[in-house]
Amino acid sequence: MIKFHPSEQHLVQYAMGELSPAMLMMVGSHVDMCPTCQMHLRDVEEQLCQKAFGQRQVPLAQLDEEAMLNAIFQSSVKPSAASSAPLETLSLEGKRFKLPATLARNGDRIGPWSKMLGKMWRAPIEIGSGETLNFIYMDQGAQVPEHTHRGFEATLVVNGVFNDESDEYRDGDFVLLDGHHKHTPQTQHEDCLTLATIDAPMHFTSGLSRLLNPFSSLFLK
Amino acid sequence: MPPVQADNPEHAAELLARIASEQSRAAFAELFRHFAPRLQAYATRQFGNEQTAMDLVQETMANVWHKAHLFKPDRGSAATWIFTIARNIRFDFLRKNKHRQHDLSADDLWPVLAEENESLDDDYALDNDLLMQQLAVYTESLPKAQRIVIELIYVEGKSQQEVADALEIPLGTVKSRTRLALQKLKELIQHHD
Repeated sequence: MIKFHPSEQHLVQYAMGELSPAMLMMVGSHVDMCPTCQMHLRDVEEQLCQKAFGQRQVPLAQLDEEAMLNAIFQSSVKPSAASSAPLETLSLEGKRFKLPATLARNGDRIGPWSKMLGKMWRAPIEIGSGETLNFIYMDQGAQVPEHTHRGFEATLVVNGVFNDESDEYRDGDFVLLDGHHKHTPQTQHEDCLTLATIDAPMHFTSGLSRLLNPFSSLFLK
Repeated sequence: MPPVQADNPEHAAELLARIASEQSRAAFAELFRHFAPRLQAYATRQFGNEQTAMDLVQETMANVWHKAHLFKPDRGSAATWIFTIARNIRFDFLRKNKHRQHDLSADDLWPVLAEENESLDDDYALDNDLLMQQLAVYTESLPKAQRIVIELIYVEGKSQQEVADALEIPLGTVKSRTRLALQKLKELIQHHD
């Protein structure tokens, strides 16, 4: 059962295409995994449609109906702009993960895995917007040192479970943290694949891990 | 002008069905008369540019004409389907303009116009449904005592201990019935394949 969802505002902005590209990918992947948000999204789209089509119209340039109809009847089917074959599973270290449809359709953007500190791996997703969007894989018993964020961090659990001081997060959970939150994500007896985006480097707050701060942009951003 | 009946959601859905099944130009013209001005007003507000707005109307309605068979009445209204096509086209228009530097395509984010066999989820759901139906049939052939245990655990989601309590039988019995039932099901599935 998914406990953490994007906000209503996120769903509305997602439906309008008004989120940043990284957040469109994150919210879209959550929706793929979450029947509740799928239903909610349909309502949101219905409402946006009523708003878009229901407003009183300002005087507009006259549509040349006949010319447009003829042009349409004579047009040929455009091939879909969608990328060719979806990537159904993602592999790492001999494990295979089923990808949410949004990620599968964008599978050709997924870069190679690289090992980070400890028992963690990451693979970037190239969306060409200059934002950081990564798969983060935490093996069992992995821990990210305690940190805060100067900006925000959004995390979606694609497969597995991790926890921090305040809760436990499982498949489909969508967590948004801002600079006020201090946390120490970790895995225990299970591994965890997440999708994560942050808009500013992490700031490590405890003990020796503070030594990481000068390098934190190498670490996750 | 004739009364604009396309306002009625059922009628709009019917028009789409006629376009899909018989390429009815009359049905499309009726839909066009209703939606084109609305799309134009929406796009003009969005772009503030008449020519771009006109392009959006043209491209959206061309998709409605060619892809009417992809409209699924059980997933929402005709108006919402057309709106989501326009949303996708707007997104791709904006991407091609310099303000938005990224290369995500609307069709990869919102597969409104994906042919059915392109949809992973639907395939997955179908497989799952078939498997479930088949499993239900196999479960019927289990001895009654085993079937009850299987249903309580796999359909109602009870733990083995809860099943033992509910049926007032020892936990060990629940475990052995579960094991025997699963073994039997496995044989049935393998035999069938």
